[in-house]
Order: sequence, then C-alpha cells, then structure tokens
Amino acid sequence: MNYLEAQRLYENSVKILSENQHEKGGFYASPPGTRYPFIYPRDHSMDILGAIDADLMDQARKGLEFMLNAQKPLGEFSQRYDIDGNDASYKDLQIDGNGLILYALGKYFEATGGSFFDKMADKKFIEEYWPVIEKAVGFILMNKNEEVDLIHTVNSIHEYPAYEHGFEMYANCACCAGVLEAVKMGEALGKDVSMWKEEGGKVRNAIMTRLYSPRRRSFIKCIRVKDKSSNPIGYDAFASSVIDVDAVEYAPAYFGLLPDSDVKIKSTVKRIHDNLWDKEIGGLNRYPEHWDRNNGGYGPWCHFTCELANHFINIDQKEMAEMYLGWVVDMAHEYQLPEHISTIERFEMWLEDYTNAKILRDSKMKMIEHVRAHPKWNDGLAYVTIPLIWPHAEYIRTYKNYMNKYG
Amino acid sequence: MIRLENMLPKAFLVGIIEMVDLVGPEKTYHWIEAIGNRLAEIEGPGFEGARDDNINYLPVCPFGNDLVEFIEIYGERPEEYQQLIDFVKDQKEQSEEGWNYPALSSVVGILHHIYSKRRAELAGAKLLNLGSKSPVSETKEYNEQAIARSGISKDEVSGYLDKSFCVSKIEYPEEE
Repeated sequence: MNYLEAQRLYENSVKILSENQHEKGGFYASPPGTRYPFIYPRDHSMDILGAIDADLMDQARKGLEFMLNAQKPLGEFSQRYDIDGNDASYKDLQIDGNGLILYALGKYFEATGGSFFDKMADKKFIEEYWPVIEKAVGFILMNKNEEVDLIHTVNSIHEYPAYEHGFEMYANCACCAGVLEAVKMGEALGKDVSMWKEEGGKVRNAIMTRLYSPRRRSFIKCIRVKDKSSNPIGYDAFASSVIDVDAVEYAPAYFGLLPDSDVKIKSTVKRIHDNLWDKEIGGLNRYPEHWDRNNGGYGPWCHFTCELANHFINIDQKEMAEMYLGWVVDMAHEYQLPEHISTIERFEMWLEDYTNAKILRDSKMKMIEHVRAHPKWNDGLAYVTIPLIWPHAEYIRTYKNYMNKYG
Repeated sequence: MIRLENMLPKAFLVGIIEMVDLVGPEKTYHWIEAIGNRLAEIEGPGFEGARDDNINYLPVCPFGNDLVEFIEIYGERPEEYQQLIDFVKDQKEQSEEGWNYPALSSVVGILHHIYSKRRAELAGAKLLNLGSKSPVSETKEYNEQAIARSGISKDEVSGYLDKSFCVSKIEYPEEE
C-alpha cells in the first residue's frame, strides 16, 4: 500500500467530511449539485462515526442533535431529511436508521468517556435526549416479530425490498446494536433498561441462530416476510429465505455483536470474499451481479471494501487488509471516493438493460451524464457519484484502525 | 379481485360511495378531512416524494394501483366520486383562498392533499397543490389560483405532470 497516498486520502477525507456538514448539522450524502443533496440517516450515522474517529467531536455532536431533533412522532427516523430536518422521504420504512442513530449516539457517548470516565462523559447530552432515545427504541421494538424475535423492515442498506423486505441481516444487526447501546447509556444514567436489555438479547440470539446457516457456514441476507405481524410467518405470502451472498452478512461483527475472530464471522467473510471480490477491477461488490439492480453498472463499492479491510485488520491478516485498503487508496481520484466503480462495458450493459425494460428513471439521467463526463471514463472506468461522503467516513475509520495497529 | 388480505383499501373506496349516499358530499368531505388530518398528526411534519428545491412531486401515484383496480372490478367510475369532486371544486371557486384546495383529478386526491397539507403545516410551511394527473384517465387538472400564487408557470407545472402524478409548491412563511 502506498502509505503517503493513504495519508493524503485520510487528510482529504477529514476535509470532505467537515465541508459537507450543513450549518444546521446534517451531513449531506453527496455535495449539493450532485446526486444526493439530502440527509439520509444511514449515511449521516456513518459520517458521525467517521467524525468521532477523526476527533471532530463538535461536528459529531451537532450531527446527532440534527437527527435527534428530526425524529418522527412514533419514534421513527425517516429514509431522508431536507437540510431543515423535515422528513423528505420517498421510500417505505428503513428501520436500520433507528438502530444506526442509537449506535452512533452510543459511540459518541463512549468517545466522550462513557461509563468509565464519568467526569468527561457527555451525560447531559444523553439525558437531554433521553425521551428521544426511549421513543427510538420503542419504535424498533414495535417492529419486532414475537414469533422469531427479529425486527421487520421493508428496505435496508440497499433500499431494495425485493431482497430486503422481511427480517434482514443489516437492519437487525443495526437495530440490535442500537438497542444495546441505548442499554449502556441508560445504565450509565441509572435508568431501568432491563426490558430493553432482555429484548436486545433476544434479537441478538435470533440473529445468531435464525440468520445463520450452519451448512453454508455463513450468515444469510434475509428471511423474506411481507407483514411484520404475520402469525404464523410460515403462511406469509413472501415466506422464503434470501441465501445469496451479500457484503452486509458481515454486519454482526461490524456492529460488535460478535468479535471478528469468531469462526462464524471468519467463514462468512470467506464466502463474501470468494464471491464478491471483483476479479476484473478489484474491490468488493455489494451483492451478486444477477440481482441486476446495478445503477451505473455492476462494480465494487468503496465503503464495503473498507468494512472488510477493518475485519482483516482486526484479525491481524495484514496482507489481506492491505489488499482491501490499498485498493481504496489506489482507486481514489484526486483524493475523492465514489459510491462505486464500474467498467464502461458493465455501465453500458446496465443502461441497455434498464432502457429496454423501460425502468430507467429521469433522476438517473444526471448520474449518467456525470459518469460519462468524469476523467476516469477515459481510463475505461465508470465512477458513480463522486464524492460520496459515506466512503470517506468509512475510510477514516479504517485508516485509523490500520495505523493504530500497523503504523 | 377481492381477497380478505387486500380488502381494506377497497373497503375505504366503497366507504366513500356509501358515505356520499348516506350523508352527502359535504359531510363525506369532512369525514375524509378528519382521516387525513389524524394520519398526518401521527406521522408528523414532512414532505413525501421527490423534490426540486421547493417543488414537491410524486413520480408514482401512491393510491393509483388501488384506485385503478377498484374501478376495474366495480365496472365504472362511481358517480358519487364525481359528486365529491364537484363539491370540492365548488368550494374552491367560492373561497377567497382557492389556492388552499387540491387540484383534483381523482377522489383519492382529497385524502392525499389534506394529509400532505397538514404535514407541511406541521413543518411550518404551506403546500400549494399546483396540479395533478388522474391515474385512471391521465387527465391533468390544475389549481389556477395556486399556480398564480406560486409564481410558477402553468407550462412548468404541466412539464412536471408529464413525469409525475401530483405537483405542489412548498411555501415557507417568508415567501408569503
């Protein structure tokens, strides 16, 4: 890995993160004038985690304030918000947002001192927003199915209900981790959170059993179920399992529900690497090409590549860590990271598929223009949505982890 | 087709017919108004749909599938729906605040407008419904007073309706 370039990418990532926080606190998903000039709780939470690791604690706090003030009456955090914190959703429930906000809040609290460094810990902030935390946990538990102890969602990290509607891996891990962070915060404040602890434990156990396939030796993507309250779920119209490999099957370790050294995680990561490492251009794809929802062309994603780099750092496989992190460093363009990278051939294939199927939305036209106008097009590559802020946050976290271990 | 598991949207669409027959369009309108407002209060402030600055539009008609399917199985567009649409249009014509009413192209637009308008109010804004397009006939309808107040041309509204089913302007207090 080119250490000097890696350092420069880190420095620019911190700059990009800082520059893309609106004065009201929201982190843009991508800068105004590009594809996603809104605040998405999922991206926003990751940006907060990146800010914490970059020691931008004021920005992290401001980001949390923005989102905690934008909670909906039932306790939900929406798919996306405008810069004023108004719900601007256009998609159905994405419950991982609730888990992610709680998880980021918990990590902020921990970074300020948590329950170990009492005097430094920002307890005042947690106390101030405790009613919001209670509602956020309440909303997660409202969507828990009592038959299987898993959280139901319509969309998750890929915003793709065809593979995510039901009890989905990422959403369950995010929500479980969020509830368990709320438990830690509550305990530090002397609140009675025993019920949350019990419910969070049930969800964790269900992830370890119902969303793990011993014969495949891998976590799986999703148990498809249409309705949260289907009882019994075996009679639900969608009842089936999604067993295709997906990068987010690593989520139990990403959210700290299992250590990276756990054999279930290691064998799951092996399956992810074997199936999703891009053999042509390197980097990690998010799911199999045949799902064919490959906006901008099938190809590897920078933030999922960073996530697995973290795994290899955590289990001390330096060579693999360097292969993953080094790829991200190599693919940065002027120290900026795109959402994902494709080839011209795959880009044109996607365009043909979507044009023929008449499913190419107007909103994609701007993205197509940008991809073709980007300098990397002349190198045979399609850079889709650059910069996207999330991979910069993820890179900050991974680079810091790498340097702490090997620097 | 009707199955128990998909009966509720159809029950609401039949309910509108029954209510108009039972108590007339005015009370039916207020019944729908109460439903829309109550649901908006539960959901809270916000603007659902796609956005170009302060223009809010819906590329997909949220009630379109249910309405189209219902009219197919009902056999015709119920005349009670037209009575209700005519009632709202009369109210709009008579009101000094005609801009505050929906540009109605179908009966379900009443619920949609009241719900969206209330959510906008909760966010401290007014929602001017500039135009809509029927999911059944694709006919475009406009609210001329809302268009005049918005400062957006009717051609531009029509352009949005070419790619969507409902277009509104979000008006913040400083713009009034």
